[in-house]
Amino acid sequence: MRSPFSRAMTLVAIAAAIVVLCLSVLPTAGQQRLASGQFSPYRAPRFFDGHPDLNGVWQAFVTANIDLEDHEAQAGPHPELLGAYGAWPAGQTVIEGGEIPYQPWALEKKKQNAERRMMVDVSEDKSWHDLGDPELKCYMPGVPRATYMPFPFQIVQGSSDYLLIAYEFTSATRTIRMNWKDTAPTDSWMGWSRGRWDGDTLVVDVTGQRPETWFDRAGNFHSDALHVIERYTPASPYHLMYEATIEDPKVFTRPWKISFPLYRRMERNVQLLEFKCVPFTEELLYGKFRRPS
Amino acid sequence: MRTLRSTVASVGLLLALSAPKLSAHHAFASEFDAKKPVKFKGTVTKMLWVNPHAWIYVDVKKPDGSVEEWMIEAGTPNTLLRRGFTKESLQPGTEISVDGYQSKDGSRRANGRDLTLPDGRTLFLGSSGTGAPDEPAKK
Amino acid sequence: MRHRFLTAIATAAALSALSLPVLARQAPAAAAKRPPAPKPWTATRTPWGDPDLQGVWNDATSTPLQRPSDRAGKDVLTDDEAARFEEELAFGLTRDRRDGGSEVDVNRAYNEHWMDARRLKITADRRTSLIVDPPDGRLPPLVPLSAERQKARAAGAAANARFIAGMPYSPEEMSLPVRCIIRTDSPPYLPTIYNNNFQIYQSPGYVVIAPEMIHSARIIPLDGRPHLGKKLRQWLGDTRGHWDGNSLVIETTNFRTDNGVVYQGANPEAYRITERFTRVAADTINYEFTISDPTTWTKPWTAVIPWTKVDPGEQMYEYACHEDNFDIVHLLSGARIREKNGEGGR
Repeated sequence: MRSPFSRAMTLVAIAAAIVVLCLSVLPTAGQQRLASGQFSPYRAPRFFDGHPDLNGVWQAFVTANIDLEDHEAQAGPHPELLGAYGAWPAGQTVIEGGEIPYQPWALEKKKQNAERRMMVDVSEDKSWHDLGDPELKCYMPGVPRATYMPFPFQIVQGSSDYLLIAYEFTSATRTIRMNWKDTAPTDSWMGWSRGRWDGDTLVVDVTGQRPETWFDRAGNFHSDALHVIERYTPASPYHLMYEATIEDPKVFTRPWKISFPLYRRMERNVQLLEFKCVPFTEELLYGKFRRPS
Repeated sequence: MRTLRSTVASVGLLLALSAPKLSAHHAFASEFDAKKPVKFKGTVTKMLWVNPHAWIYVDVKKPDGSVEEWMIEAGTPNTLLRRGFTKESLQPGTEISVDGYQSKDGSRRANGRDLTLPDGRTLFLGSSGTGAPDEPAKK
Repeated sequence: MRHRFLTAIATAAALSALSLPVLARQAPAAAAKRPPAPKPWTATRTPWGDPDLQGVWNDATSTPLQRPSDRAGKDVLTDDEAARFEEELAFGLTRDRRDGGSEVDVNRAYNEHWMDARRLKITADRRTSLIVDPPDGRLPPLVPLSAERQKARAAGAAANARFIAGMPYSPEEMSLPVRCIIRTDSPPYLPTIYNNNFQIYQSPGYVVIAPEMIHSARIIPLDGRPHLGKKLRQWLGDTRGHWDGNSLVIETTNFRTDNGVVYQGANPEAYRITERFTRVAADTINYEFTISDPTTWTKPWTAVIPWTKVDPGEQMYEYACHEDNFDIVHLLSGARIREKNGEGGR
């Protein structure tokens, strides 16, 4: 006759086996969340071409658009009018190493940008872009800023040589030309993107960006030598890990890298809506040229 | 036998009946003055390959030796890009002739009605020879 | 004089309508003047089974939306007639002409090669109008406008006159294209002077149409989900699609009511637009749209415009607009300068 103890141990063993069995069957419950918040290796379902399927509506939830580096909560513009509506939340840096490695002259320029981020003067063509955060003016944000704007975007992956990323912010779009050799014939606000697969990671090489875009509202900027290499890696059915390496030898002392997860928007019938912000900026930009009443 | 005049008249009617959706996209007459034609030679200092209009900056030497800067409005660069031109295709220092109409507000802007090089060739006419439209893109 | 002229056109159109068979979607008759029937083409499909529309497509043509009065009664031309039609249209449209006086010349803007060369060609099927229904190739008769709409029209016309004179009062009274809010990306898609390109992307459950001007992506779900709620109005509306055989059929609702959002002159409350995309050859999509608005036109009307595949040789490029829209400042600040100098009295 088995002792009560050994009977109990048998039950414990069976229970443990059942738990292990359940965990191994459930796709996400079995994944370990590592200390850094990253996910243990995940193999995404295959798309028709054997690569992972990145289709979906995605969004970042970091506050990098306010400032890529660590930032405290702050009052924001015109607190006497906007109160808590206009205040901005705190956020931790998305930069590996914490800070952007500026050349000394460039750090001064960044500070100047921050001071002037809400100053706008478009009265002369030649100085049209000299002042103000381009986001404030509803200009297309460029890469990587478009990825961490507080708006969703949609990846459209099909069976042609082109992927599309469509952003809700100002209906910006970019074509990712797969396995393409030619570079941009001219600069553009969203840059020239060439993609390829590195295992399950979509690697996108971005050049030809307009020098006038900023990385965030803190005045972080670049030159016409900007070169961005993005990596989109499925981390779970609901997450992509996003990394972007930024190189600009005219502005920084070395390349630097940002990373954060992208979350699949799960709402029923979720879709990008319109954020055509031009009408929201016409008074700011052109108000002084109205006919006085 | 249809005369040219009646052909033009019927084509005019035809255009009037097209009712394009974007009839007021950019009536050039709104910004540039038909009564202020300009014609001059100058040196390109830069070209902005931007939409909705490319802009060519031209330094014009006046008889008294002073230099005036003019800004010439041109078309969408996208059409040129598809014909094989790139932002390198018009270098600073190039001499061009401008035949156009001056801005109604009197500023030194004109639309580039006809832009030519010193040898008489029209600026940006013809393919650049690299990546002309019927060549497959270099992948 | 103008009234008699227009009456003559209307009469001719009415008479020709009685004698013309309806052109749309009927097999071409055996008559020699009909264009040859398109060669049957087996639709290629995406790996998930949808007809494949992917690629970069161009819709430029000189064929006018409405049949010109001097082609009344002819929906399709013979080879010779077509050659002459194309020549006449090209002569009228080319920007390389310098005749007609400076008032005409200034509006030609610049040399022809800055424009889309395909816009000097008529459609391959040699039609005399893009409109295929009504059969006379013309917009249906108009419904008399309500007093309110007449007033709104008059206000719009006054603002437009100020713009043409170069004396706009404000950004908001200028057109949506000048303000860089929407351009050819607003349906129905109609040919224009340049950048007549559309890139189509597909993925399981979606077709996406990205027009060149202005950058935007018309993301069309095919899963049968309902349209957005009525309170969510958009500049480009809200589109849903489904496959009807090899044709993509899309319906768009939820348009904003601002002037210029729906087809010129239509009433956003009553406006309906249905579009169909059918790939009929490796390099051709037939784009067809039907607009109905019983408060503006007595009947719905339909047009067919062929799209030609142009990639990989030609690519679509970014058309940023608002970012470098210097002209809007030139127009506004120029108007204020001219007012100071005594022009444009109230």
